[in-house]
Amino acid sequence: MNLQACSGLLSRYRTTFAAHAMKILLVEDDMDTRSYVSSGLQARGHCVDESGNGSDGLSRASAQEYDVIILDRMLPAVDGMNVLRTLRNSGTHARVLMLTALGDVDARIEGMEAGADDYLGKPFALSELIARLNAICRRSAYTSAATTLRVGDLELDLITQRVFRAGRQIHLQPREWDLLKYFALNADEVITRTMLLEHVWGFQSSFQSNLVDTHICRLRGKIERDFFGPRLLRTVRGEGYMLCGKQDH
Amino acid sequence: MTAPASSGLGARLLKSAAFRLAALQAFLFALAALALFLVSWLAARNYIENQLRQDISDETSEVVAQPANLRANSVRRALARAPRNPYDYSLFERDHTLIAGDVLHEPAIGWSTVEQREEHVGGDEYVRHMLVLGTVLEDGRVLAVGRDLASVEQLDALLKQTFTWASLAVVLLALAGGMVTSLSYLRRVEVIATAASRIAAGDLGARVAITRRGDEFDRLAVSLNSMLERIQTLVEGLRQVSSDIAHDLRTPLTHLRQRLEAAMQEATSVESYDKACERALTDVDSVLETFGALLRIAKVESRQRRAGFAGVALSPLLERLAEDYRPLVEDVGRMLHADIAQGVHVHGDALLLTQMFVNLIENALRHTPPGTPVRLKLEALDKVCRVIIEDAGPGIPAHERSRVLKRFVRLDASRTTPGNGLGLALVAAVADLHEIRLTLADAGPGLRVQLDFTYPQNFTKGVSP
Repeated sequence: MNLQACSGLLSRYRTTFAAHAMKILLVEDDMDTRSYVSSGLQARGHCVDESGNGSDGLSRASAQEYDVIILDRMLPAVDGMNVLRTLRNSGTHARVLMLTALGDVDARIEGMEAGADDYLGKPFALSELIARLNAICRRSAYTSAATTLRVGDLELDLITQRVFRAGRQIHLQPREWDLLKYFALNADEVITRTMLLEHVWGFQSSFQSNLVDTHICRLRGKIERDFFGPRLLRTVRGEGYMLCGKQDH
Repeated sequence: MTAPASSGLGARLLKSAAFRLAALQAFLFALAALALFLVSWLAARNYIENQLRQDISDETSEVVAQPANLRANSVRRALARAPRNPYDYSLFERDHTLIAGDVLHEPAIGWSTVEQREEHVGGDEYVRHMLVLGTVLEDGRVLAVGRDLASVEQLDALLKQTFTWASLAVVLLALAGGMVTSLSYLRRVEVIATAASRIAAGDLGARVAITRRGDEFDRLAVSLNSMLERIQTLVEGLRQVSSDIAHDLRTPLTHLRQRLEAAMQEATSVESYDKACERALTDVDSVLETFGALLRIAKVESRQRRAGFAGVALSPLLERLAEDYRPLVEDVGRMLHADIAQGVHVHGDALLLTQMFVNLIENALRHTPPGTPVRLKLEALDKVCRVIIEDAGPGIPAHERSRVLKRFVRLDASRTTPGNGLGLALVAAVADLHEIRLTLADAGPGLRVQLDFTYPQNFTKGVSP
């Protein structure tokens, strides 16, 4: 690769810096995956500590406060599940995203029950990992007491399940409501197709379907077609979708 | 070759469980015969002895009943009647001298067995055994009346002989029977062992021969054969899949290689690198996709998921799917007709069942021209509940219908549509896991996929929720 291409790639990374930097602990024994994830997260402005095994990861997590711990399920010394249980028993509140080669539903359920906030099967795209990290960190920012969600000029009434844009009501099907609500809860973050399948439809992430695109297309028609103003639901190429509230994007 | 083979058979015979059982049985038979002999011998002997004692007592009474002075003569007269009179008599004086009779020594008073040396007519000596009753008469003399025990001894000898021969015959018969049984068992076991070693040697088509007897060996053979059938299907499936995987993955991997090579040689700008990388990623994703689908099918086929089966409300599940897919169907000018019976519950894995229905619905969308109606129906019949997914598209030719359920099979007509040829294979695996009868039929025109939940406990018609 020539120099010009290199600097081009670097500048592209810089433009995607996260708005809020996170302090992340990455516990992963595979060196390639670790450096791939770590450099990807650092390029987006996050601060990453790396650890290659369970016991070291555990002592680091107990010694410092992290926003997120990315924890591989199969680790030497202490298994990922045990690390997670120990952390939760000791009252650590850091968000935990589990990585695993065992991507099936049972493993996922077991991980979630042990206190993981999300679960991602290998192999994964970096954009998927980042989207999920953003989503689990964002989740804590919302209080359950909120009855209205506002994204730009879009307004969701969580109690009556009604949607308004610029004061005009939009009629949505139940599934479209679920979809829009999930987007609104994670506004200005990239949401991937598998996240939508998992959280809106309740399908496992390995599900094969082009349901998502069709429903997004319909939803987009309803919330954008008859309104002046900027596009709200954007496609992020190669990554997923984003509901944009801030119009400087 | 015959000699070692037969000696091998002999050794195997001696080692065979059936033969050992027969030998043990023979031994037990012999013990039982011995016990039987002892009991009957004692009983017979007792009976005869009692009879003798009774006779002797009667005879004694008769002699005693006579006047004292006539007794000696009557003893002599009775003895003269021998051998018609079987009794022996003697009368002893108070000083123990013999007055008359053939019991030479005065016996003890009461019952006793007396041995007495006598001579045959020819002159050789022998020992006589007699049962004797000694009685003190009112005049102080002693009367002895006895009988020869030869008949009892003969009975003993006869019984012993009979017992010996009979038990020998029983033991031999038991051993011979054991041998015959074990030989026939060995032969049947040999048949199974031969089939097993043929299979071990690589002939997966070998089967255990079944006789018409319908005995336990035949039942064993039938279950072994059905197990072998399943193993053969699995192994052949595995072979097929391995070669299919190798073949099907080579194409995208070759494309990937070509693209990367071309990018290295030709790309000059960031944009062209980006484009090459993007296409390479698409290729890799499709390979990963195929692997993921294969793993899912393998997981379903391993039947581990049965452990997680639970009640599944089929009606709302299908209603939700119909609702979710309606926009997808209608966007391309098709119609989705859903006709779903209420309150149907089955036993299974909700996620897998959903994936199965999704694959079938998406198949109907993918392989039919725009404007084709698609029908989704759930019926609660008497003994089964039936899901039908039907389209009015081109359908699948009858001879291809069982083939399309296999991995990587794509019909020529669908080569250009996206897909990896694993969707229906997953459907078949999920159906098999749930014991659902899967039928592909002609909808005239179009394809009709019928799923019958036949497993009895798999289906309950509940109340509408």
